[in-house]
Parts: sequence; C-alpha cells; structure tokens
Amino acid sequence: MKELNEVLRDWEAVIGLEIHTELTTLETKMFCGCKLSHDDEPNTNVCPVCLGLPGALPVPNKRAIEYIVKAGLATNCEIQKHSMFYRKHYFYPDMAKNFQTTQGPVAFAMHGRLDLEVTGRGAAERPECAFGAAEAESLASASAGAVGLPASMARDLPEQGGALAGLSGYDTASLAVPERREDGSYTVPIRILRIHMEEDAAKMVHVGGDEGRIGGAAESLIDYNRCGTPLIELVTEPDLRTPEEARLFMEKLRRIFLALGISDCSMEKGSMRCDGNVSLRRRGDARLGTKTELKNLNSFKALHDGLAYEICRQAEVLEAGGEIYQETRHWEPSRKRTVVMRVKETADDYRFFPDPDLAPFDLTDEFIEHCRAELPELPDERRDRYVRELGIKRADAEQIAGDPEVAAFFEEAVGGLAGKEAQTVANLVVNELPAYLRGASVALAESALRPEQVAGLAKLLASDAISSNQGHEVFEAMAASGDDPERIVDARGMRQVSDAGALQPIVDEVLERCAEQAQQYRDGNQKVLGFLVGQCMKASRGSGNPKRFNELLRAALEA
Amino acid sequence: MATLDTLTARQIAAGVRDGAFSATEVARAALDAIQARDAEVQAFLQVTPELALEAAARVDAARAAGEPLPPLAGVPLAVKDNMNLAGTRTTCASRMLEHYESPYTATCVARMLDAGCVPVGKANMDEFAFGSSTDSSAFHPTNNPWDTARVPGGSSGGSAAAVAAGEVALALGSDTGGSIRQPASFSGVVGMKPTYGAVSRYGVVAFGSSLDQVGPFGRTVEDVALAMDALVAGGRDPYDSTSQDVPPRFADAVDTDIAGMRVGVIPAFMDADGLTPEVRRAVEGAAHSLEAAGAELVEVELPHLDAAIAAYYVIGPAEAFSNLARFDGIRYGYREPDCATLAAQSSLSRAHGFGAEAKRRQMLGAYLLSSGVYDKYYYAAQKARTLITEDYARAFDRADVLLMPAAPRTAFKHGEISDPTQMYLSDMYTISLNIAGNGGITVPVGLGEESGLPVGAQLVAPAFADERLIAFGAALERACAGAWDAVRGAAAAGEGARFGAPVAPAFAGKGGELA
Amino acid sequence: MALTEDDVRGIADYARIALEGDELAEMCAYMNDAVEMLEPILAYNLPDVDPTFHPIGGLSNVMRDDAPDAARAFTIDEALGNAASTRGRSFRVPSILGEEA
Repeated sequence: MKELNEVLRDWEAVIGLEIHTELTTLETKMFCGCKLSHDDEPNTNVCPVCLGLPGALPVPNKRAIEYIVKAGLATNCEIQKHSMFYRKHYFYPDMAKNFQTTQGPVAFAMHGRLDLEVTGRGAAERPECAFGAAEAESLASASAGAVGLPASMARDLPEQGGALAGLSGYDTASLAVPERREDGSYTVPIRILRIHMEEDAAKMVHVGGDEGRIGGAAESLIDYNRCGTPLIELVTEPDLRTPEEARLFMEKLRRIFLALGISDCSMEKGSMRCDGNVSLRRRGDARLGTKTELKNLNSFKALHDGLAYEICRQAEVLEAGGEIYQETRHWEPSRKRTVVMRVKETADDYRFFPDPDLAPFDLTDEFIEHCRAELPELPDERRDRYVRELGIKRADAEQIAGDPEVAAFFEEAVGGLAGKEAQTVANLVVNELPAYLRGASVALAESALRPEQVAGLAKLLASDAISSNQGHEVFEAMAASGDDPERIVDARGMRQVSDAGALQPIVDEVLERCAEQAQQYRDGNQKVLGFLVGQCMKASRGSGNPKRFNELLRAALEA
Repeated sequence: MATLDTLTARQIAAGVRDGAFSATEVARAALDAIQARDAEVQAFLQVTPELALEAAARVDAARAAGEPLPPLAGVPLAVKDNMNLAGTRTTCASRMLEHYESPYTATCVARMLDAGCVPVGKANMDEFAFGSSTDSSAFHPTNNPWDTARVPGGSSGGSAAAVAAGEVALALGSDTGGSIRQPASFSGVVGMKPTYGAVSRYGVVAFGSSLDQVGPFGRTVEDVALAMDALVAGGRDPYDSTSQDVPPRFADAVDTDIAGMRVGVIPAFMDADGLTPEVRRAVEGAAHSLEAAGAELVEVELPHLDAAIAAYYVIGPAEAFSNLARFDGIRYGYREPDCATLAAQSSLSRAHGFGAEAKRRQMLGAYLLSSGVYDKYYYAAQKARTLITEDYARAFDRADVLLMPAAPRTAFKHGEISDPTQMYLSDMYTISLNIAGNGGITVPVGLGEESGLPVGAQLVAPAFADERLIAFGAALERACAGAWDAVRGAAAAGEGARFGAPVAPAFAGKGGELA
Repeated sequence: MALTEDDVRGIADYARIALEGDELAEMCAYMNDAVEMLEPILAYNLPDVDPTFHPIGGLSNVMRDDAPDAARAFTIDEALGNAASTRGRSFRVPSILGEEA
C-alpha cells in the first residue's frame, strides 16, 4: 500500500466524525435517579426506568440538559429552544426498551464550529494542493451533499421541514479557506452539524467466543448499569481532510469538554468514543465517493492510524479499479488494519417518532443565559491569556490551557511571576511534570507536588543558580519528597557557581591539562569545546555554571 | 346486618371511622362476596386476601391508636391488572406476563392505598388493554353481571364487573379509547376518564402513551369523586413527565346546582349509524332530565370527529408497537425455551407470549411507523388531533359540558363480534376524548327498553374542568334515580345508596355479609 | 396499494413476531383491512394545520433535579427477579449471531 502522504497528493479524503461523550460528572442517569456507575458490579445501579420495566416512565435530568447547552455554547452552536425527544427503535438487548430515547431532526445544539490549529509534523499531512482556491471549491462541494441529518436519521420527516426551515444554517461563504503559514502550520475551521442528547446502552459481555467477540459466542451477559447514562453525540460536517486534523479535532473537543466539567472524557474507559466516516475522491473531483464508517477508534492514536489505514486501503482499491462499499469497518490496532463488520445495503428504518412520554422542550432565554453565565474560561481563551499576559510561548500555552487540572496548577505556580520565570514554570509544567507523573504512575491530584515547589524551582533555573540538568534532578526529588527545591539544592550542594573569579582557575587548569584539544579548537574544530566544558564541570564536581565555563573557555582560546 | 354491597365507598369509610364496623370486617365481607360471586362473574385474575387483611389491619390499628383515618379508610378496591402493585403479579391478562411479579407499585395504586383503600385483587382485562369486551384476556373472559352470557365491555371489563356485581365499592381502570367509559356503560356503573395528565400513569403498563389515562369506577358519582380526590391529592407525580397538578375538589362538586348551565348535544351523534334506538332514547331522556333540573340544552357541532377513529387506529397501534417492543423475554416475561439464537428467542417469545390482538396491533403499528408510511398516516393523524381538539374548544365556548352516548349499544354476547375492525367501532363515542385529551364520565341512566340491559350516558368536559363531570354526573344520577326503582325493589328502598346504580340483581346480597 | 405477504413477513421480522402456519395470511388480510379503515385519515394531511404530538398542550421543559433516587434503586434480586435466564449478576441471552457466525 502507498504511504498516506503519497495517497493524499492524488486523492482528497473527506472525513466526518461522530463523537459520543458520556456526561460522567453527573450524579444520575438521563431519565431516572439511578447513580452513574463507574466500577460497580453488574446491575447495581438499576431501577424500573432504566431496566425498561412495564409501566416505567422517563423524566429528564435537568443538569444533563444544562450540560448539553453548555457544550453547544462552547462549540459555537446555535441553541435550539424548541426540540423534542424521539424514540429510535431497534431490537437489541443493550437497550432495555428496545428503543433508544434520543433527539429528532432538531437537536439542542446545531450548526457550530471549531477552528483547528494544525502545527508541527502533522500539518504536513495536508498537501500543498489542499490550500487556496482549489480548497474553496472542495469545501463547497463536500458540504452540499452532507448538510442535513446523519444517516441514521436520513428519513425525510415531514416535521423537520418546518422545524429546520427556521434554522439559519451555516454561512458557508464565510468559511475560511486554510492558508499555510511559513512554519508549515495552518488553521482550519471545522463545522459541527449538531449535538444531540441521548441515553447510553447497556454493556454486553460475549462469553464462549474468541477473545470476547460476538461471533461464535455461546451466550451474552447484559449489565444495565450503563444503560441510561446521559450521552451527547456530536456530529461534524465532513470538513476534515487528514487523519491529523481528525485527531486534533478530537483532542480539542476533549479539552473543551474537560474545561466544561461535563465528562471525565476518558477514551480508555469509553466515556468518549469516536466513529469516523471517510470517503475518497480524486483531487479536483466535485463528486463525493462512497464512504465507510470506522469503529473502534478508541484512542487518539487509533483515530489517526485507523483513518490513515482506511484512506490508504480505499486508494488502493480505487486505483486497482475496484469499488468501495458502504459498510461499517472495525479498526484492529494490533494488526493495523480495518475489517468489515457489517454491510449496509439499505438504510436502517428506526421508526423514529416523538416520544409521547416526554414533554417537548421550549428552552427559555433565562435557561440558556444561565448556562452561558456558568461557562468557564475555555482552553482557547485561556491560551490567549497566557500568551498575552504572561508571555508564554503559544504552543506551551495551548498545551497547558487544554487540561483544566494542569492549568489550575500552572496558574497557582506562576502567580506573581512574569517573563523568563513564567516561561520557566511553563517549561517545567509542559516537560517535567508529565514525565514525572508518567514515571511515577501517579495522578497530579494524588502526587505530593505543590505549585510553590515548581515556582521555587523556576526561580532557581531562571537565575542560573542551577543548571537545567540539575533542574531535572531537583524536580524528581521534590516531587517525590515534597521538600522545597532550595533545600534540595543546598543539601546536595548543587548551587551553581557562576563567579568568574572562582571558575577561572579551573579553566586554566583544564586548558593546561588538555593542551591537545585546545589546539584542535584553535585549528577550527569547534566541536571539541563540549569536551572541554565537560572537563571543567568534572573538575568543579558539577557545581560550576556550564554556560559560564563555555564563555570563559572561548575567551581564553580565542584570545 | 346488611351485606357490604348495599354500602357506598363513602358509607363504608364513614362506618369504619365511626366504629360501626372494622376495616377487617369489611375486608372479610368483600373477600366473602368475591368467593360467592366471582366463579360466575370472573372479574378477578388474582384475589389478594393477605394484602387486603394487612391493609385493613393497619386501618384498624390506626383507629385504635386514635390517629385520624384517611378519607377512604377500609374501602375495598379492585385494581386493573395492568397496574403494578408490589406483592401481586401484574399480568395485563397476557401469557407474556403470566408470572410477572410487580417489582414496584404504580402511583395511582399507591395513592388509593394512601387514602385507606384495601386492595382485594387484580381485575381482568383485554390483553394489554387491546379490546372492548375483555374476551381477549389470555386467562378467561369476564361475564357481565347483568347477563353472564354477555361481555362487561372492555378493556377494563374486570374492574367494571367487580363493581357491578357488588364485589368491591371502587375499582381502578385505564382508558385509552374508551376502556373505562364503555365497560361502565355495558355494566351499569359510573366510570370516569379524567383529563390526560390529571392522574399519573407511572406504573401502569403503557398501551398508548399519549392516550392512556387512569380513572375510577364506582356505583355512585360521589364515590368516583372521592376516588378522584384520592388520585390527585398528592399533586403532580414527579415520576410522570406528563402529569399535572389538579386540585382535589371533586367531592365538593357533587352538590353543585346545574340550573342555568348549558349542556351541549351533538345532533350528528344522535343520528349516527350503529346507534341503537334504545340507547338513543335513553340518552335523549338523560338530556331532558338535565333540562328538567334547570340546565339549558344547546346544539353544538364537532365537524372533525369522523376522523377520530382513524386517527386513533394510527396513533394507538404506533405507540403500542413502541411500548410493547420491550417484551422480548430477556429482563422479564415469557421466554421461549431452547432457542439457539437471540433473534429466534425474541421472535418466538413474542409470538407465543402475545395473543392475536396484541400481535395485530403491534404489526399495524410497526407498519405505520415505517419509512414512507409514517409521513402519510402518523402525521395526518396528529393533524387530525389538532382539529379535533379545536372542535372541542369551540364546542365549549357554547356549552359547559357535552352529553352523548358512551357506547352505541348495550352489552353484546361473548363471541358476537369476531371481526376486529368491527369491534373497533364500539369505541366510536369515546375515542375522540383520548385523541383530544379532555375528560369524560359514564353515568348509568337506566335499562334499555329492548335489551333490558344497562345504558350509560357520557358527559364530556373541557380539559382540566373534570369537576364539571362530577357536578353534571351527580345531577344526572339524581335525575335518573327513578329508573332503577324496579330493579332495586321495595326491599332495598331506604337502605344503602340514596342514588346511583344498583348492584346487578343476580348478585346483590350474595355473600358479603358484614358480620 | 395492498400489503403483500412478503411485506407482512418483513414487518414481522422487524417486529420480532414469528408468524406461524396460517398466521401470515391472516395477518396480511387484517393489515389490509385495517389500512383500508385508516384511509380517511389521509385527507387530513393539511398544509396549514400543525400536528399535536402531545395532547393537552402547554406542558414543556419538564425536568428533574440531578439527585439520586435511592427509593427506586433495586437490589440485585429485585433487578433479576423476573428474568427467565441469568448468570451471576447479569441477564443472559443465547448466542446473538448463532452457529454460522
């Protein structure tokens, strides 16, 4: 198979995502007062409603509605005041009623947009031909066939005519065409079709088959703990063009939802799940190709790699004169391939109709404004503030701002600092902190590390009192022990000597001892300077400032 | 001492409160009456002596402790078998739920028990409430106490028959297209469907979620009013999104003077095909007796009512399909044994657990909701619903209540109507209220001149003006009191109810001695 | 357009109702009768009338607080009590795909 970059020069990949997020930070389920389950034993948190018992009736969780409104506001969606819950019927035991309560053509949040900043190596996935005028045409033609309902609701419900006619929709004309910046980065707007509210399904365990797979299983066991967990589904327009953009969209959305506090957003635990739709068309072709749906994209890496594989697979099929079938495919990370799960010959008929047990919604301005007022500072706003007020590098600011817990830690550490010291705090938070937490297998909240320690260490580093290598050592030590960095530095005799008077005798001694290397430098081999600095450091038992040694050595050799 | 069936619910509660007899004595008498009568009536699917005696003992203990007694303390109650009551099976008269133990109690039942009622058993019904005869019960038919060769109506036929036979003073039913009002008419008892949302549906096995409403049966309008007060006294039910607050002022409405108020009659209804002359004359007589009581008769029109049956048979089956999809034999209900696959287990469990009519309705509903069909039928039906609702609103500009038949004829014989689509027409006078949502009450007005069987007249009020049903119903009951003299006979005169329908003569006084 | 036995079989498959013996023919006859009875409703697809999905209009935004409801939580015995087949703390169903899968 060809490489992704090669494929994307000839083919345009049109990618859309469907992202399900469980509102795990709520106390109770969507339509009943059962507690949300985390690691409970099977069927611990169940009641007549979520077991679908005869006679049970749903009552919506107000906070869940607030959460989806916040999710909509934070992703620049229009909040739809009037909407209804619908019943979506399919016979499968993970839905206790054999229908799922979800939303109809009008969702609580519709027509939003997020701007992706694509930087670094990932930005190279989008080929040069996908910028500028050609891309403007591509955007217009890809959307024309896609704006509307997800495939699961493609049926032309009569009521949607009236209801959707009232929506302003997108202003496609204003959609910015990405422009490549000098450093290779670019910004691309991704439109969001809708975010709707629904309930999660039960968990099923397939017993007796191969590796818990459904095929060949002798029986399946059902645990309704998760059944009825509030779930929001976000559907993007097919505006994504590379696996990297898809991955970044998911990351960005995750950071926003974490900032909103509506979910733990754990992809590992399945509280955030992503399906991808992808089709290919020849560069310059206005017609969309047949799309496949990808499942099991359960990590950022899987999302990227699964899409990348599928794009390459489709290209290979198409270039050999083959045909792409509309089907659902499963990403197998261990074998790095996608396999067919189900061929969709006809559209599923879910027999949608408005749920008569649930009153319609007519959200008031007051309700929506209340949600707006509770919105926290979102990652993009926070990033911009760090850059503006603290002078932190944009990439570092983006990374810190994305995680509310890390951001809170950072802000406490950086309190009162500015300039070099503030950037040094950022460096420690971006580099040392995650490395330490990963190595110690500990969460930030559970670690002994305090923001004051990081601030103290930053001051030591910024004033050149210790070297960056020592900084690393101090970080590990203070995180593990909880001691102040100053004490560690003193106890270990680390404090760096920068005074020229104290360092010059060492430099002189080394140059005398290593006359051969000194001559090499004078002959033009500048690389040997590192060796000489190392000798000075050794002679000072690590206490000398390597930068100062460097300066003194150059001065002596170039004199 | 008298038999229990000579007392109304109000009189039983008063007697218990005053110490004339204990709740336990009442419960024993009710169980005795059921023992003596139900072999012939077959109103009950399950009799619950333990629950009844426990509840009665609690009432007696409360009285002994000097606590104030609730308004219906000690009154025997039958509960339709689509209502959950912990400690009983809730079968919906279906093989599907033959062994289903209620894991919780429906709000409507809990409120009746809170009001002091004593639950004596679960009443028979058409399977899953699909029917107008109670003959589609998977277990046995129920016989009309006035003529056991005939049906009591349905689907709440067991509830209606239990009251008509004097086995209980009060019963709960549910009404999706007339399932309280039609059997009340066939069985000669009072039956009321309140406005949609007045009574919680939580715990009542759903048939048509936008149509279903719970209501009481009694032999007097006053008893029905007391039951309504009990059902709404707790305010809206937080477990039912569609329930609303209704003030408990029904009993207060019993003595309302209706002089000068307007009763609307619909000429087209009185000339409708299928309305038998005896029912027509009885309802006309009811109109004149209200006029004699001082009401003014006005003619009104409901021009879109011809769409009601079709709208109902679109919305009802669609909602029924959806509501009954959950019966797949996994979490509860009949499970076909020894199936190799889940699909086979589901399909065979449903094929063998459901009776014919339940399968027909679900199949029709699944068809009507399918792509392309839904747009044409379901959408049109919901538009017709708008027009029918508007018709009623206009009619109530001119009238305080409407008067019409409850059913086009008196009770038919078991097996007399076998074509399901013909059976659907027996709800022609009741269905539109389930479509529009407002309330109606059936009040027995006498025996048909030809059939000699009970005839009920139906009063209809605007949404959430259900107290008018009690006011006019009580007035109608007083006006028709004379119609029952021949049935009651001289012996009963002066005893028991001042007004109201008598217990069916074949069963009056049979067992149920209040020792 | 009348429903054929194939149409009815398709609906029965979807609705998970096995039709055996004469049931298919009977069901087909019933469905056609019923659909014919519903014909008058088609005249009500009027462009200027709004549908009423919920009777008794005016009710909207009915919600509950996000507070646990211990009163309704089931014990494991209550949860599984009416199930025909269970294993451990779970409900049990036979093979979903069957032998051939």
